Amino acid sequence: MKTRHLLHIFKRLLLYLLLTAATVAMSFPLFWMISSSFKTIQETNSPGIVWIPRQPTLEAYVGIFQNVNFLRAYFNSVFVVSLAMVGTLISIAAVAYAFSRLEWPGRNLVFFLMLSTMMIPPQALIVPQYVFFNRLGWVGTFNPIVIPGYFAGGAAMIFLLRQAMAQIPKELDEAAFIDGANHIQIWWEVILPLSKAPLATIATFLFVGLWNNLLTPLMYLQTVDLYTLPIFTATLYNINQTVQPWPTIMTAAVLTTVPLIVLFFFAQRYILDSVVISGLKG
Amino acid sequence: MPQNPYLNVLLTALLTVFFILASSFVLAALAWLAARLFRRTAREQQNAFAGYLFAAPWITGFLIFVLVPLGFSLYWSFTDYRVTASAPPQWVGLENYRQLLLADDSFRASLLNTLYLTVLGLPLQMGAALLLAVLLNQKMRGERLFRMAFYLPVILGFNTAVLLIWRLMLNTGTGIINQLWRAAYQIPGISELLRAIIYVQEISAAFFLGLNNRSFNLMYKVVEAGFPEVNRVPLWVQSPLWSKMAVILLMVWGCGAMMLIFIAGLNNIPKELHEAAQVDGASPWQRFWKITLPLLTPYIFYNLVVGLISTLQIFEPIFVLYRDNQPLLSSAISMVYYLWQKSFSHFEIGYGAAISWVILVIILSVTLVQFALQNRWVHYDIY
Repeated sequence: MKTRHLLHIFKRLLLYLLLTAATVAMSFPLFWMISSSFKTIQETNSPGIVWIPRQPTLEAYVGIFQNVNFLRAYFNSVFVVSLAMVGTLISIAAVAYAFSRLEWPGRNLVFFLMLSTMMIPPQALIVPQYVFFNRLGWVGTFNPIVIPGYFAGGAAMIFLLRQAMAQIPKELDEAAFIDGANHIQIWWEVILPLSKAPLATIATFLFVGLWNNLLTPLMYLQTVDLYTLPIFTATLYNINQTVQPWPTIMTAAVLTTVPLIVLFFFAQRYILDSVVISGLKG
Repeated sequence: MPQNPYLNVLLTALLTVFFILASSFVLAALAWLAARLFRRTAREQQNAFAGYLFAAPWITGFLIFVLVPLGFSLYWSFTDYRVTASAPPQWVGLENYRQLLLADDSFRASLLNTLYLTVLGLPLQMGAALLLAVLLNQKMRGERLFRMAFYLPVILGFNTAVLLIWRLMLNTGTGIINQLWRAAYQIPGISELLRAIIYVQEISAAFFLGLNNRSFNLMYKVVEAGFPEVNRVPLWVQSPLWSKMAVILLMVWGCGAMMLIFIAGLNNIPKELHEAAQVDGASPWQRFWKITLPLLTPYIFYNLVVGLISTLQIFEPIFVLYRDNQPLLSSAISMVYYLWQKSFSHFEIGYGAAISWVILVIILSVTLVQFALQNRWVHYDIY
């Protein structure tokens, strides 16, 4: 009995050791980003390992906060992402309501169509969309990044929300219906408050997708004053330079990832369980 | 429209909302009318109105941003159409496709590179995800903390800033990864493993490059050079033999999304099955192969379908790591990167449309083949 107990402890130790090693490996880029942002250029290019800078310098931070282009890119990203998120979330919530709580002719067909759009790579659409937006005079504006989402962009998000909404008991709508509520009221006052967790999940995914988006801004925002963070950061790294300004790049990286990490910290209990909720049985 | 970009987009957003509301009511009214014409009950007429009212944003969006663009791009793919020339599209029939599939070396390179990432990167990514999920499936303290740490890379994802962190870490000479690699040579016994990894990787990369260049000289050279000597390090973002491996490293790092799916799958496996097998004397290893893996196949299938679609569309890592890097570009370029380059650097819209249709057909057929083959290895019946 005693050896068995020891074996159990040994197994646990091994498990924790493995998991800790994996955690260190997975989080290492973050550590390296923060550490490098406090280094000097010489330290980032030194042939020896500088784990933690001996004399941490705020030079890169001071420099980047004086860089007008960075500040504007940051503002642009926040502005564009929030504007896009409002419309996208509301429209997705409406469409998910139609797919989960309402019975209407053609619903299954439209739902199937929606699911099959997930197979179309967005890149297959970017060329004609570019020509279309060019005709509208939208090249060089934020419109192509913000507006398409207002049409319930994101089939996967609609699907996730629909699955969650379908699990709310039908009696709730019927009771509200008998009390004289119309569909808009039932949607806004009954169903949405009960869908806070899946809404938080898709809001997080939407934020991440928009905040990290490089391709669309790259196509439409051609002047420095319209750049969003991903493009601005990409321009910091220039292959034709012999010495890259790594501390500055890493400082931009820290400031870019902070909103993502904070958001993830608050939303993690929704995200990490959402897959279990959405139920993926065949 | 106001010149100020912020006011401009605010106003456009407002107009869009009005447009969506108006078109939703029109669509809903049409549905209501149709239901009336077909003499449905009053309740059904109401339902048709409400259903189309709420679904309308997606339906109009689908028409404007998916169906019509797809139609146009299909037409343009048969034309010579350049934005810079300001000439209307000229019908050229199958010429774009002929050139793309038979005569375009860059496209072939991009196809083979994407294939390499799919064949080598995806299994590694899924394997890492499965390993982490199995480790996390034990009942223990701090499980949530580990889960967060493994999922965080997915949130950071292919953000430019995060990709640049990897660029710094992958520097051949001074990057931290190679520093650690060199340090690892001091540990006895690991040296052979590290050199074997370099050897196998370089040969397989040279083979793929050989397919691309239609000459296997490079591969013969790598083989002839023999087993790598001590202190050799991977060249990551500085050699055609390693450029794709850097991307694969990034893919494995972001395996958290697949891990979550696997955790959900492992949770759904009935505990009784494992207990019964344990009573019958099955070893943990046997139980993994005979119980866990077969019951996990629906989740493996899901990850495979989604993973293939996203790997075949890979773009950001290539753009951030290899943009403007002429010597390496042909060894790293992906299909979507090539599409972007043709359409938005060279403004060859017709040719770009043809590329996007080839990508679309590849993804569709790969997905359909998987669905056709799933009955052979995916077990849904056990649930």
